[in-house]
Amino acid sequence: MPQLASFDLSSRFSTLATTTAKLEVQLGRLRLRNPILVASGTFGYAREMAAFVDFAKIGGIIPKTITPVGRIGNPPPRTVETASGMLNSIGLDNDGLDTFITKHIPYLTSLAAPAFANIAGRTIEEYAEMARRLDEFPQLAGLELNISCPNVTGGVDFGTNPESAEKVVRSVREACSLPVVAKLTPNVTDITAVAKAAAAGGADAVSLVNTFQGMAINWRKRKPVLGNVLGGLSGPAIKPLALRCVYQVAKAVDIPIIGIGGISTIDDVMEFLVAGASAVQIGTANFYNPGVSARLVDELAAILAAEDCSDIHEIIGSIHRPPATGC
Amino acid sequence: MVANTSGECGMVPHADQHQARVLAQRVLAHGTYAVRIDARELSTNILPGQFFMIRPATGTDPLLGRPFALYDTIVDDHGDVTAFEFAYHVIGKMTGLMSHWEPGEQVELWGPLGNGFPVYTGKHLLCVGGGIGYTPFLAVARETLGLRKYGNKPSRYENFQPAKVTLAYGVQSKRHRADLSDFESMGTMPLLISTDDGSEGRAGFVTETVRELLDSSHEDRPDGVYCCGPEPMMYTVARLCRDARVPCWLSLETPMACGFGACFSCVTRVKTDDGWDYRRTCIEGPIFPADSLAYDGV
Ligand SMILES: Cc1cc2nc3c(=O)[nH]c(=O)nc-3n(C[C@H](O)[C@H](O)[C@H](O)COP(=O)(O)OP(=O)(O)OC[C@H]3O[C@@H](n4cnc5c(N)ncnc54)[C@H](O)[C@@H]3O)c2cc1C
Ligand SMILES: Cc1cc2nc3c(=O)[nH]c(=O)nc-3n(C[C@H](O)[C@H](O)[C@H](O)COP(=O)(O)O)c2cc1C
Ligand code: FES
Repeated sequence: MPQLASFDLSSRFSTLATTTAKLEVQLGRLRLRNPILVASGTFGYAREMAAFVDFAKIGGIIPKTITPVGRIGNPPPRTVETASGMLNSIGLDNDGLDTFITKHIPYLTSLAAPAFANIAGRTIEEYAEMARRLDEFPQLAGLELNISCPNVTGGVDFGTNPESAEKVVRSVREACSLPVVAKLTPNVTDITAVAKAAAAGGADAVSLVNTFQGMAINWRKRKPVLGNVLGGLSGPAIKPLALRCVYQVAKAVDIPIIGIGGISTIDDVMEFLVAGASAVQIGTANFYNPGVSARLVDELAAILAAEDCSDIHEIIGSIHRPPATGC
Repeated sequence: MVANTSGECGMVPHADQHQARVLAQRVLAHGTYAVRIDARELSTNILPGQFFMIRPATGTDPLLGRPFALYDTIVDDHGDVTAFEFAYHVIGKMTGLMSHWEPGEQVELWGPLGNGFPVYTGKHLLCVGGGIGYTPFLAVARETLGLRKYGNKPSRYENFQPAKVTLAYGVQSKRHRADLSDFESMGTMPLLISTDDGSEGRAGFVTETVRELLDSSHEDRPDGVYCCGPEPMMYTVARLCRDARVPCWLSLETPMACGFGACFSCVTRVKTDDGWDYRRTCIEGPIFPADSLAYDGV
């Protein structure tokens, strides 16, 4: 395994707002100026968001998943709104690793926010090969492994089997020196087992959750609504489910957790932090409130000040500690 | 046939997110309304055929914004653009809710989005609107006739020559037919109405009107077509134009979740060197030259 380099991005990308509370968080080898990141597949390749978001504010950017070669994606309709949520079956529509390297990395790494790459492969070797190629870009903040996409058939579903999850994480760790985050699917009986396996494989952190598998039906036509029949549910509707996952995983593993799922308000952020997440990712909310991520950073600073809290670590995981240690 | 003013079109939207208020709402036809929104900045920047996304300022159901095209901008006595209007037809959750919006209602919106119609530099532009699809053509007509400027980029009007504009408007029946007085007030613009059931104007689909105009040999024959409406109608118009060798642009209405390129849900098939690829309608469109689309399943 490569030597554990430390990636302290908190000084290269320091929080601009003058705040009293310390917002910096540590995710394994990775140190970030604040815990508000944006989720893969909901922020394009960041270009699309430039009109709405001051990148200098947010904690980090996770662009859309890339695969070794381009994929055309699923037939439309690819999304449909549901009660306080949405289903998607985009199907990893992307132009592949080469285009990511030539077209997106130069832009992403020029921004005033740490940028990750999010990768998916069909085999362990594909993950490792992508990691080797991306290792040439130490300007990247890290790799997030999408081992959890519910919209792609044909490949092995690494995220539902602890053994293969551990193997894929280990092979990526061996192939590159960037910090590694394993992104977990909630579509399993016991998410803590996969989280433990990712930790054993050497993940710096786990991020959870990806979308919950679901479907929508047009009963008049006796047909599914989505072109791909099944899709993944996201948005405010899944927040309690995602919060439960973070709470359970926080009890089960020692590595840091990035909470994802229906987060759109500062109260949502605080709930995930209290449940044990060291950072969060904003997903679907970017679609219906495009400037929300940067605003949440301001609101986080304000709420910590109002709570008389000097360091965000007093909040993180506080539900798992005796009351006296909270602020 | 069109001035290329959209070199930087799409990809990076020049948009902004705003909170605004509903100023007024009026009925245009059965189940069809025009809403006036107090959003000065967006109104000043938006071009004919561009759209924006709108949702209530609070709540999570409905969750996502919905796309609507510019109907017209509102200009005060000093010639300043102060607000804009869009027109919509009630079809579901959000539009049903919108029909109850009262003046003062707080809304969240982001835009302008998409490329908009190109500036028309031919002699006779035919606009073909099916159902609610006619609404973008009020601003198109005002601009093409030289009656109003939109957006804040002077380059769009350099060497601008007003052209003749005709509207071919097709609708189910007289009951659904929109109040076209905003178009009539422009004076010289021919309005050709057709209804599916023959209750007003020409009986049958609007595509028959288009076929006749393209077949005519004198000045009625358009040298360019802009089209917006249900997909089967648009693709029929596209085929007629292809056969008549008249350039045609379609304004697609693929369902959208974000409107600015982040979600990849709004894709349509665009021709490429080796077949076709799914492209995002919200940033590469919504207006496409018809011959760039792989609608016949290339
Ligand atoms: C660029 C663009 C510009 C548009 N401009 C206008 C406009 O100026 N005026 C206007 O009235 N409408 C316009 N539309 C369509 C408008 O966005 C939809 O009618 C609206 O989103 C419906 O929302 P809803 O919540 O009422 O319907 P929903 O409850 O979301 O849907 C009701 C039913 O309609 C179907 N549906 C939803 N959206 C579409 C669509 N776009 N095409 C076909 N079927 C659909 C759904 O599948 C469902 O069956 C535009 C669309 C686009 C993409
Ligand atoms: C339209 C859409 C596309 C997505 N694409 C990806 C993707 O490419 N890779 C990935 O790891 N997650 C993807 N996700 C999952 C999100 O990153 C996130 O895990 C999930 O939506 C839950 O968070 P949310 O409720 O805040 O959206 C996608 C989600 C949506 C809604
Ligand atoms: S609507 Fe989201 S990418 Fe076009």
